[in-house]
Amino acid sequence: MTARTVLKNEWRLLMADRPLKIALGLFVVLLGYALTNGVVWLRFQERTVEATTSGNVERASALRQELEAIEAGGQPSSPFADPRSPRVLGGPSGSHTAVLAPGPLTALAIGQSDLLPYYYDVNIYTNEASFHQNGEVENPLNLMVGRFDLAFAVVYLLPLLVLALSFNVLSEEREQGTLALTLSQPVSARSVVTVKLAFRALVVAGIVLGVSLLGALATGGFGSPGRLLLWSVTVVAYALFWFALAAWVNALGRSSAWNATVLVGAWLVLVVVLPAAINAAAGLLHPLPSRVEMVTAQREASNDAVNRRSELLARYLEDHPEMAEGVVADEPGLGALSWAATDAVNGRLEEVAAEHDARRTEQTALVRRYRFLSPALLAQEALLDAAGTGDARFADFQSQVREFAERWREFFVPAIMADEQMNAGVLADVPTFSLADGDSADLTRRATAPLAVLAGLLALIGAAAGVGLGRVRGAD
Amino acid sequence: MTESHESNTGAAPLLEARGLSKDYGDTRALDSLDLAIAPGEVYCLLGPNGAGKTTTINLFLGFVAPSAGQALVAGLNVSTHDRESKRRLAYIPEQVMLYRNLSGIENLEYFAALGGQGSLGRERLVEILVEAGLDGEAAGRRVSTYSKGMRQKVGIAIAIAKQADALLLDEPTSGLDPTASSEFSALVERLRNRGVAVLMATHDLFRAKDTGTRVGIMHYGRLVTELSTAEVGHADLERIYLEHVSDNGGPR
Repeated sequence: MTARTVLKNEWRLLMADRPLKIALGLFVVLLGYALTNGVVWLRFQERTVEATTSGNVERASALRQELEAIEAGGQPSSPFADPRSPRVLGGPSGSHTAVLAPGPLTALAIGQSDLLPYYYDVNIYTNEASFHQNGEVENPLNLMVGRFDLAFAVVYLLPLLVLALSFNVLSEEREQGTLALTLSQPVSARSVVTVKLAFRALVVAGIVLGVSLLGALATGGFGSPGRLLLWSVTVVAYALFWFALAAWVNALGRSSAWNATVLVGAWLVLVVVLPAAINAAAGLLHPLPSRVEMVTAQREASNDAVNRRSELLARYLEDHPEMAEGVVADEPGLGALSWAATDAVNGRLEEVAAEHDARRTEQTALVRRYRFLSPALLAQEALLDAAGTGDARFADFQSQVREFAERWREFFVPAIMADEQMNAGVLADVPTFSLADGDSADLTRRATAPLAVLAGLLALIGAAAGVGLGRVRGAD
Repeated sequence: MTESHESNTGAAPLLEARGLSKDYGDTRALDSLDLAIAPGEVYCLLGPNGAGKTTTINLFLGFVAPSAGQALVAGLNVSTHDRESKRRLAYIPEQVMLYRNLSGIENLEYFAALGGQGSLGRERLVEILVEAGLDGEAAGRRVSTYSKGMRQKVGIAIAIAKQADALLLDEPTSGLDPTASSEFSALVERLRNRGVAVLMATHDLFRAKDTGTRVGIMHYGRLVTELSTAEVGHADLERIYLEHVSDNGGPR
């Protein structure tokens, strides 16, 4: 009875409070804008993916036609792009674009998808430099602050709305004098405050989840119910964390102004300062080598390799004796010499990239270790994972592309070394890329840690709030 | 449940204090109060600021815990039967503060439901508000437009709706004009006639004499004397009050 009574009263108070209704309306508009941003990005990504996919088909088709025409007695369209050469067929003009399809809930969380490459042109020249460069031109401001998407709105703005709705949930009752009349009834402050906050939580979660589900509905997100569930659970847990914090601060019995100051301070520390500090610490403790270093290494290795191709070929054949059979020892072909140089360059790049990757791994480990300090980082990680736009999916994609590039090389390099000519018949055997997206078990495993910590923090602060509210009488 | 002493009317008291004391640090705000108020009695606590009147009421409400002794409502120890005792109590503070953006009806509906009366229905709520002296038209207006007197009437309406056995009033007529004070006293009188036990803390000697059946004068946390209002006139009450609250005993 008490719960229904308080809920009904809360609804009346909300309906009678014009500024609050305006604030909620503004929040809905912001969420709508965030969702629109996400949908626009998703559509752009879908168009790009479609273009690259059809590009693969068109390239393969054009090469097939040209090879068939040559086999029928025709001439290559260019003597420098003869598709019979494995260096051409396996090179840039015959490359296959490996594509990461947009995450199932990209419209809700753009995440890393505007920062990390979601497609790579794979050919025999694909090397570590390819994985450390992003060919897309993007507004640097967007990259720096991230796009205004639903995940951003949830992580940064939702706590502010929660705090605006709850910073004075008890202190206002005390200040306006209704607390004494309320607590002279057979109810406890804890039960009344809990129901009041539950009502506000329902309003906030209803708005955010409503907009989220609308976005999922419009972009096919319902095809991934597990991800949608993870998204919803994260939103609710994160919102409840802030409600619990507000309840705890209210239970301390201070003024509304004090509560507001403390809670906004907590938002600033947990959402802005701590994540920035952790990122800064990662950058300071494990600085990434300059990208210029990689470019320089590539250039130096290329120059060196061109001058020492014969020597490099000999070394290559020592390392790859299985290739030696096709190479004419006295008069190696241009292709073999060239590939030996390419391989030497790749080797040097791998050394530089390994250092880069090691630092990146250390940075990531540090951030992962200390992300538990900030509920905002935990929520962001879980939301991006749910959307399929987090680091993990991109790293997995990159790893699969590396494997694909290796398969590509294994297909073409023996022919290059043996100076063989290709024909239309081999096209059916040319490797193609097919992404093996992580399954729901992967997702569950990754989401468990951040959600468990978030739930733990929620339980801890909720318990402190419960104890504090249990001490509230009518005359403190 | 604790066995109750009988009040001076012979009936079992609805409000009772037994050796009730409250300390705030080194300051004793209430010192061994013994008090019993029977159904249909209006007991007025008189005394200067800091005498312990509001502390007494807060102890009956369970808003503060006693340092010693017991506060009993209908025989229930407030410290151990918080909710049960509050079901029997109604409370009207010096300033009845309500939700300003809601109407009198909505406020009454909320507090009555919290008090355990369920959903009373709009018609019944208006009836109660009118019974409490509020104009029927005003009942549907937002409380932000109400005067203090009107809010006090909503407070009375909450007490009526709750059908409480005992009523605690903490300086309820403070700041009211004489007409509103008189109306308020008439409402208290009506509740008294229904058998409600009333404990009213007040500075208003005239109102205490007029409304109360007994008065107790408090000073520095102690109940220094008790009088039946039927036995003293207004002038006598004032004289006796002044005699007892002159500084003849400091705080302990």
